[in-house]
Amino acid sequence: MKILFMAAIAVIGLSACNTNGNQSKENTAEAGDTALTQSGNSAIKSESSISEVVTAYLQLKNALVNDNSKEAATAGGDLQQAIEKTDTTSFSAEQQKVFSEVREDAKEHAEHIASNGSNIVHQREHFETLSQDLYDLVKVFPSSQTLYQTHCPMYNNNKGANWLSETKEIKNPYLGTKMLTCGEVKEEI
Amino acid sequence: MSRTKKILLVILILFIGIQLIHPVRNISGQVSLNDISKTISIPENVRPLLRTACYDCHSDNTDYPWYATIQPVGWFLASHIKDGKKELNFSEFGSYSTRRQKSKLKSIASQINDGEMPLSSYTFIHRNAKLSKEQKAAIMDWAVKAEEGLE
Ligand code: HEC
Repeated sequence: MKILFMAAIAVIGLSACNTNGNQSKENTAEAGDTALTQSGNSAIKSESSISEVVTAYLQLKNALVNDNSKEAATAGGDLQQAIEKTDTTSFSAEQQKVFSEVREDAKEHAEHIASNGSNIVHQREHFETLSQDLYDLVKVFPSSQTLYQTHCPMYNNNKGANWLSETKEIKNPYLGTKMLTCGEVKEEI
Repeated sequence: MSRTKKILLVILILFIGIQLIHPVRNISGQVSLNDISKTISIPENVRPLLRTACYDCHSDNTDYPWYATIQPVGWFLASHIKDGKKELNFSEFGSYSTRRQKSKLKSIASQINDGEMPLSSYTFIHRNAKLSKEQKAAIMDWAVKAEEGLE
């Protein structure tokens, strides 16, 4: 028994000295997926407008209005997929530029919302930045459905936050059922 | 040998065995050209806070504590580093798009405000990474201002 303990200590000692200065560079792999990755999921019809993205966003927004973090997570996953499969080939140069700028960030927020099905506070934090991404995006797609940029000054200790809605009627996704009608329409898009 | 002794022996051998499996170390040994400090000004009082409380999991240079050489502690840390760097890498911050930089600065403020970062499983053993109320306020204040300053 004693010998075994000595061996254990020796191994720990040895491993402590084993400092190989290898560097890992996993973060560079990430940039690769911004290219058009349509292959592989050819079964899913690719979408040449942003309508699916907007639909998933609105679903997410409505889930948050109802304080339903599970549904929000599902919609977040849908949104992530919709962003991934958007076919940008028929987009104008400006639309492509904005889409590629927004893509990575929006996808990341959608992913976080999808993976935080039990933390609505965190989902809402990501939803806030996501709403900015979506706003910038829909601005360059004037022919898509009418949307309303809405502002609530109370969220986040009165810093305020925006969201896009399909209706003029105020239903607040940040404060949910607690303060459903906080907000006003700032712009019709 | 009794039954319990045998079991203990097996556990001991396993424990010794896993010591030989080392995760790759996260040490680039240099300050990256894309380091956040090259793109965004960070006040003197905030810089060391980020280094001690965040850089271990969110940069290319982890300052390994001695117990990280003992497995499975090292494995847990390695997995935190992998996930943490994917989310936010201060050493590569300058290579992010402005939109992503703003988005990350915002997340930094909200993660600290919510008490989510640094991870509690980390501050539990890494006591000096625990942030005081004032230190949290200083980081949040910086992150919010830096986010507003980016256009
Ligand atoms: C022990 C390792 C560890 C330390 C230390 C740490 N983080 Fe993290 N961090 C992680 C991991 C792992 C994730 C990804 C998983 C998650 O979100 O929980 C993450 C995610 C994040 C995110 C993205 C989360 C989001 O939802 O947007 C931010 C921002 C962040 N960390 C900031 C910080 C800051 C600021 C500090 C220092 C005050 C810090 N972290 C310290 C491991 C760490």
